[in-house]
Amino acid sequence: MTEATSRRDFLRYGVLLGAGATLGGGLLAGCSRDAPPAAASAAALANEKPRQGGRLRLGIVDGSQSGNLDVHKPVGSGIIRGFALYSKLWEWNERMTPELALAEEVSINANASAWTIRLRKGLEFHHGKTITADDLIFSARRLSDPQLASPYASLVQRIDRDNIVKLDEYTVRIPIKDGLGFLPLPDGWVNFGGIVPSDYHPVTNPVGAGPYKLKEFTPGQRSLFTRFNNYFKPGKPYADELEIIEFKDQTSRVAALLAGQIDTAYAITPEQIVPLRANGGAAVQISHTHGWQGFEMNLDAEPFRDVRVRQAFRLLANRQELVARALGGQGRVANDLYSPLDPTFNHGIAQRAYDLDQAKSLLRSAGKTDLRLELAAGPGGSAAAQVFANQAKLAGVDIRVKQVDAATYNGPLRDSWTMSTTARLGGEFLHTATNTDSALAATNKTHFNDARFNALFEQALGETDVEKRKVLVHEAQQIQHDRGGLLIWGFADTVDGIASRVGGAKPERSHFSTWRFDELWLRS
Amino acid sequence: MSRGFLRQPQARAGLLLSGIALLAALAGPLFAPHGAADFVGAVYGGPAQGAPLGYDYLGRDVLSRLLLGGWSVVWMAFSSAFLALLAGTVLGLVAAYAGGRTDRTLSWSADVLLAFPNLILVLLVVALLGRDPWLIVLTASLAFVPGVLRLVRSLALGVAEQEFVEAAELLGYPRWHVLLREILPNVLTPLLVHFGSMLSWAVTILSGLSFLGYGVAPPAADWGLMINENRAGLQAQPLAVLAPVLMIVLFALGANLLAEAVARSNAGTEQR
Amino acid sequence: MALTWTLTSAFGTRFLALHGLAPWLRWLGGRLLAGAGAVAAISIIVFGATQALPSDPARMVLGPEAPESSVLTLQRQLGLDRPVAEQYLRWAARLVQGDLGSSLDSHVPVLQLVQARAGNSASLLAGVLAVVVPLALGAGCWLALHRDSWFDRKAVSALIALKAIPNFALGIGLVMLFSTTVFRLLPAVSLLEPGRSPWSQPAFLILPLATLALAGLPYLIRLVRSAMIEALDSEYVLAARLRGVTERRVVWTHALPNALIPAIQGLALTLSVLLGGTLIVEVVFTYPGLGSALNAAIEMRDIPVIQAIVLLVAAGVVLINLGADLLTVLLTPKLRTALGAQP
Repeated sequence: MTEATSRRDFLRYGVLLGAGATLGGGLLAGCSRDAPPAAASAAALANEKPRQGGRLRLGIVDGSQSGNLDVHKPVGSGIIRGFALYSKLWEWNERMTPELALAEEVSINANASAWTIRLRKGLEFHHGKTITADDLIFSARRLSDPQLASPYASLVQRIDRDNIVKLDEYTVRIPIKDGLGFLPLPDGWVNFGGIVPSDYHPVTNPVGAGPYKLKEFTPGQRSLFTRFNNYFKPGKPYADELEIIEFKDQTSRVAALLAGQIDTAYAITPEQIVPLRANGGAAVQISHTHGWQGFEMNLDAEPFRDVRVRQAFRLLANRQELVARALGGQGRVANDLYSPLDPTFNHGIAQRAYDLDQAKSLLRSAGKTDLRLELAAGPGGSAAAQVFANQAKLAGVDIRVKQVDAATYNGPLRDSWTMSTTARLGGEFLHTATNTDSALAATNKTHFNDARFNALFEQALGETDVEKRKVLVHEAQQIQHDRGGLLIWGFADTVDGIASRVGGAKPERSHFSTWRFDELWLRS
Repeated sequence: MSRGFLRQPQARAGLLLSGIALLAALAGPLFAPHGAADFVGAVYGGPAQGAPLGYDYLGRDVLSRLLLGGWSVVWMAFSSAFLALLAGTVLGLVAAYAGGRTDRTLSWSADVLLAFPNLILVLLVVALLGRDPWLIVLTASLAFVPGVLRLVRSLALGVAEQEFVEAAELLGYPRWHVLLREILPNVLTPLLVHFGSMLSWAVTILSGLSFLGYGVAPPAADWGLMINENRAGLQAQPLAVLAPVLMIVLFALGANLLAEAVARSNAGTEQR
Repeated sequence: MALTWTLTSAFGTRFLALHGLAPWLRWLGGRLLAGAGAVAAISIIVFGATQALPSDPARMVLGPEAPESSVLTLQRQLGLDRPVAEQYLRWAARLVQGDLGSSLDSHVPVLQLVQARAGNSASLLAGVLAVVVPLALGAGCWLALHRDSWFDRKAVSALIALKAIPNFALGIGLVMLFSTTVFRLLPAVSLLEPGRSPWSQPAFLILPLATLALAGLPYLIRLVRSAMIEALDSEYVLAARLRGVTERRVVWTHALPNALIPAIQGLALTLSVLLGGTLIVEVVFTYPGLGSALNAAIEMRDIPVIQAIVLLVAAGVVLINLGADLLTVLLTPKLRTALGAQP
């Protein structure tokens, strides 16, 4: 996707953050996919040519939100629909790093405080208009518009939206406020920075440049799309139509997959693997992603003010058991740090071991031998919370699990919980920190506010040299590991259900194997 | 009443079935091999040595949770039925005896509540105000009160017209005396039948609530919650769902049969 | 002269009939008013409950990453920062004008949303009625006529057992039996295509219908059976038999009409219970009806939708009960006159 550069002072963005290719490649061993039950040999599969036509049906379970079609303010399942309708400057590659898509070339200055983006030429929107710099500027301004109040504006909060400069018909320069650096701009942009024309409207004119155009949308039930023939990747997408169907619970979705009512199911729960494997028509595809699950300890509340208590909690977590029970074995143990695929990740920090005695002695020295606290478990966090509560009992800590529903979990109480469950998608370090426990985070449930960490983070945001950034991030991660408020116990696999008639699906490091609507095709 | 009661096959079957369920619920905790939150096996593991019913979605022993999970269903069902009985009887007697405006207001309120489908009412309140067990009990009993009220009211009106009540009043007995000594005993048996029906409705509502995810919260052991939690793994480990379903069916069935038997044995006898 | 008298008496009778009708109309009007009051009371209670929570739709819509400023902006846009009473009154005022507002979640007008879902639920309920009413009447009467036979006893036991099974267990069992595990005949999930009538996609209706029917039949069959038995044992039937009326006529013209009255009341009660039952059935089968819409709206704190559905359900139940009472009233004098005209 990236093209050779021609000018010396333009740094190739691909080199900067995509240097993780070699690292990622090594870790790729471990993705697995069941062989399709039909007796198709590997050679035959490799020679398979994508077939055009048909209707691809994806089933999703995404809570009770109806979702919408807004490119910059997607709600619930709107994000998935966005992958069908809209194209962005970058897109996720299979290692979950941004790769150029609509943008032909991107260059940044020495401290990442100005981004120069050049669009590919001759690309069109669904209604035929050519994609130009004006549309780019419109989209960037729309995403960061305080009137729109998009919750994802915080991901691009540092853009100086009033001073975006149009250099020519296809090139734009985006300055960052106050001349500060902001390297994770593409990451934030990939999911929510769709490029739309200036006549865009989320309800009456939801036009984009994605592989599929909207045909019908019934909020809360399903949406239907037809192929966009002028998609910027020639020959793609393959299927004539795409249908995204919403289910209210996992069991009925798997039943629908088994009955042939849908073709792909995104993120099924581990216990559904058994019936899928027993049945002939659908395969289970496991992607070893680095989406992580953990607990957030509130540093501004008792007892977590004391770093010894935080460390004790991290030591009394039996991570193997958590992965085995809460993830059904579909995952790997984590070390309280996120973004292991990032080239700047500190692999020198040893994996924290399960040490109950050390935990107990730390609690004793902190004077907190008879702790009682409440753990708020959001939707999806119930299993982990219960397992952890059980483990904590062994150290003399009495944890009461409080199950909260989605509305309460996102409500105003979230900032005051002593401890709560949390889960995030995989991604690079700066991007995840922007979202989680840095000074830029819109919601920082850990209330982590270490001066040295903040300084390192701020510097790393503008450090374009990978090696120099590595030094900063290494120290920042050491601080997180020693005194942060996150207890990240595991990385979860994404398990998808794929019907045998679907081709082109492969397990990835990203979560989005079933969302690659421009790659999937139907065998019949 | 008790003479012909136990002779009926319904009564015997009812006692047996509900007895099994009640025994499991009340005495179960004494025999449970593990605690409700003990992780002892593999996730969705099948039946094994020491775990005849296998393991649930977190690897906890299904048998233990079954034995520990009946208590909440039983106490909540009994409480809501009993509270409804109490409140409904008092209000029904008041309505029947006071008459006039009080009667019309109470009857109208009863109709308002009765108009609303029980499950939806309970769901709305619990989902919006929180999953506190006592809140669930109160709302469920609220759903049953109008039924009891109307029953008691019509029965009491029927009895009040009879001569022996008029005679008692003429003799100067105070109202409450008349209510308690004359009217109440005649109302008792139909109430008992209704109580049995309410028990099985309560169990249905409570398990329906748990099925939708608004019943007792985890990590408590509760038959309804077990069905909800393990439903996703129905094909992998059906026992984790079938065992609590069976217990609930036994309880509801037993209560129904007993109510039937009481109704039948009373049909022949008229109390004075 | 005779003509005038005939005409006057004709008019007179009509006038008398109208006058006789008036108290009946007054009763109807009174009941409608009481029903409207009930519906209003319920809507106030539900609205109050939606306010009692430590969360609000704005946060729900925007999700966990939303900064405070976004939330406040949305709250203001949705009018959520006004006092509770004011919010309710505004909603009520708009309702009277026919405007149910827009869903906080999807921004689709509530009327449009509810209409589509209500249509689906109504089709389901209509289907259930179409199955349950003839079956209950037929089976109940047949069992009553063959009471205490071996078949009758087995059937009654089976019905009692069936009634004890919770309806979600019935639904899951049917799915396992006909869709996923034993046979693969019917779709497991009712993926109705929006915009098309449910009746044009009948395969999706079969299992949810069966579940609801199985849930409602036991009570209704037994009710019809016992009402029929009571009618067959009643004095006027005995009198008719003694008069020499054929058994067939006894059943059809004497016993059955009288058994209908408690059956109608029972049907109204069953419908009310089934409304609650559709909530569960719609979740099990992902059937896009009012029940699943309510469930979703509650989870999302989508207040306009919650209010609208609660209103619709309450009004529906009030009307069903009214209809049942009306039918009962209408049937009774008819029966009396029918009996009076017998030889």
